[in-house]
Amino acid sequence: MLDLLGGFSTLFTLWPFLYLIGGFMLGLFFGAIPGLTATLAIALLLPFTFGMEVTNALVMVMGIYMAGIYAGSITGITLNIPGAPSGAITSIDGHALMKKGEGAQALSLDAFASSVGGMIGALILMLLAQPIGALALYFRTPEKFSLVLLAVVTVTIVSRGSLWKAIIAMTLGLMISTVGIDPMVPKGRFDFGSYHLIEGIGLLPAVIGLFAICELLVQATIPARNAMGVAVADMPRLRHRDFIPDFRIVREIGAWLYIKSSIIGVLIGMLPGGGASMASFIAYAEAKRTAKKPEEFGQGSHEGLAASESANNAMCGGAIIPLLTLGIPGDAVTAIIFGVFLIHGLVPGPGLLTQHTATIAPMFAALFVASAFVMISVIAFGPFYLRQARINRGVLYGFIGLISMAGVYASSFSGFQMWMALAIGIFAFALRRFGYPAVPMLMGVILGPYLEKFLRGSMIVSQGDPLIFVTSPFSLMFLVMTAVFIWLLRLRPGVRP
Amino acid sequence: MTGLARPNGQAIFALVLLVLNTVYASQIFKLGVPFDNGVEPGASFLPIVLCAVLYLAAGRIVIGELRAGRSAEAPSAHAKSDHVPAIGITGPLVIAILTMGFAAGLERVGYILAAGAYTFAVALYFNYEESGRPLRTILVAAITAALITGFGWLFFVKLFDLYLPTWSY
Repeated sequence: MLDLLGGFSTLFTLWPFLYLIGGFMLGLFFGAIPGLTATLAIALLLPFTFGMEVTNALVMVMGIYMAGIYAGSITGITLNIPGAPSGAITSIDGHALMKKGEGAQALSLDAFASSVGGMIGALILMLLAQPIGALALYFRTPEKFSLVLLAVVTVTIVSRGSLWKAIIAMTLGLMISTVGIDPMVPKGRFDFGSYHLIEGIGLLPAVIGLFAICELLVQATIPARNAMGVAVADMPRLRHRDFIPDFRIVREIGAWLYIKSSIIGVLIGMLPGGGASMASFIAYAEAKRTAKKPEEFGQGSHEGLAASESANNAMCGGAIIPLLTLGIPGDAVTAIIFGVFLIHGLVPGPGLLTQHTATIAPMFAALFVASAFVMISVIAFGPFYLRQARINRGVLYGFIGLISMAGVYASSFSGFQMWMALAIGIFAFALRRFGYPAVPMLMGVILGPYLEKFLRGSMIVSQGDPLIFVTSPFSLMFLVMTAVFIWLLRLRPGVRP
Repeated sequence: MTGLARPNGQAIFALVLLVLNTVYASQIFKLGVPFDNGVEPGASFLPIVLCAVLYLAAGRIVIGELRAGRSAEAPSAHAKSDHVPAIGITGPLVIAILTMGFAAGLERVGYILAAGAYTFAVALYFNYEESGRPLRTILVAAITAALITGFGWLFFVKLFDLYLPTWSY
């Protein structure tokens, strides 16, 4: 813990701090524009990280992550159009408050709850990361396989919509991961005679295709008047001081609600496939269950707003824990952060924290400091938030298109990888058009090599005996957890098919 | 249940996935037997499992759609644009073609020309769709192209020291 606290001293030097501010501003901007997300912002940043020091890249990513999750609720409150899925629950009560003329207070309470949740999440991350990392050092190949299998299954079954489509998306991602050199023997697979494909399909074109190119194509189908929502002229004019939270209301909400919701957020974040939307939904439901006036939920409840927003920002800290300690990304953002590590030659998982403490510690500090920035940002920029949805779409999507494509080229020196990103983007657009989720596909691309390597490694050790996966207590525990999640999330009576 | 209906968009897309899966499967034979030494999973083991899962899941969707009797697509959820006809198809088609043009041109004509033309065209599309005024749109798109192209060069090449091609002739 003390080693990790040392990250603050690195963070408060010139360049890391500037990168944090830059990332935070980028996250605010992307999170607050409907259709753009923190995931897209980090995906666009990925090519640039080739030219950055790893600490600066990680600090910047943390700034984007925290700000992007928070900012998803800004247009949710003001326009009832969540900038990101994570802001959907917050907009229920936030926009109701906006319609009552309490928009500025809704935005400030929203920022306060995000700050508190983010800080609690970051503190829990600092507390738990090293013990879990130390425990994970005992995991052998069978345990690692069962853990990756847990992530693959959970990410698939928590996807919204058709389970069959989620299974197909995951399978396609895993198939993409099998292209290239076999992980166990030096043999090319699925290269179709092309020397380009022997290298495999990189993470960068997959991320850019799935999130940036696909989004560009989706936005091209939406008329401007539908994308922008309510005209700015219809908004009330607000001043900076209107965005200071009313601490009388904060006391009414109570410290316990913030803490409880944040803990829920961290726990959901630690689950593969959890994510901010699920965290805010569960914390909101729990707050409503224990509220003195549950009938106010949905009509502009301060408690509802605080619960959902604390949880979704606390989730950020939780989601980082399995990524760093076990090497398992739980959602799209942490999957791309996984890519940032790989680009710089660091492999997330057991041992990372002990071997690279000085590199990783500023990242933890950045998550904490970015949470504090959230509160400052609403006072500084609150009046301007309302204008973000009016940005010129030609500028926005021209920028996204160029940075995506040129970014892939610049960081891979390969025209082929650029074409690959475009092909994956067009394919992802078709998948999205027909209701297939993108996140399981990305997770398949990332987790596929590990799933296969650990499976085959375990079977070689056991000489083909599959019982190796149930004779180890940790492996058995992960397999039981997989079965329990399948039961709870898909098979239990009363759950959607 | 009234028997099988004509395939709709969902069923056709699932059939396309089945065809792609078959193309993938055609390569598995080159990878040898699924179990090396009779017991250890080899290079073809996971691909065989993945192929089987995809055949099952996509097949399930095709059969489900045909049995559901939805012979026609549900009405399109896409809103209409005032200035771009059939925006649900035209929009992504235009952007995809422009992006292909950028990918094809980058190494041939260099970053400045390729990026300038690409961002100009993308900005032109989005601005024209919004305002429908050609002259104003061209002006805004030209300014946008100059700014974004310059920004990209500064960031990639000057700030992060990454390589972008210049005119190669």
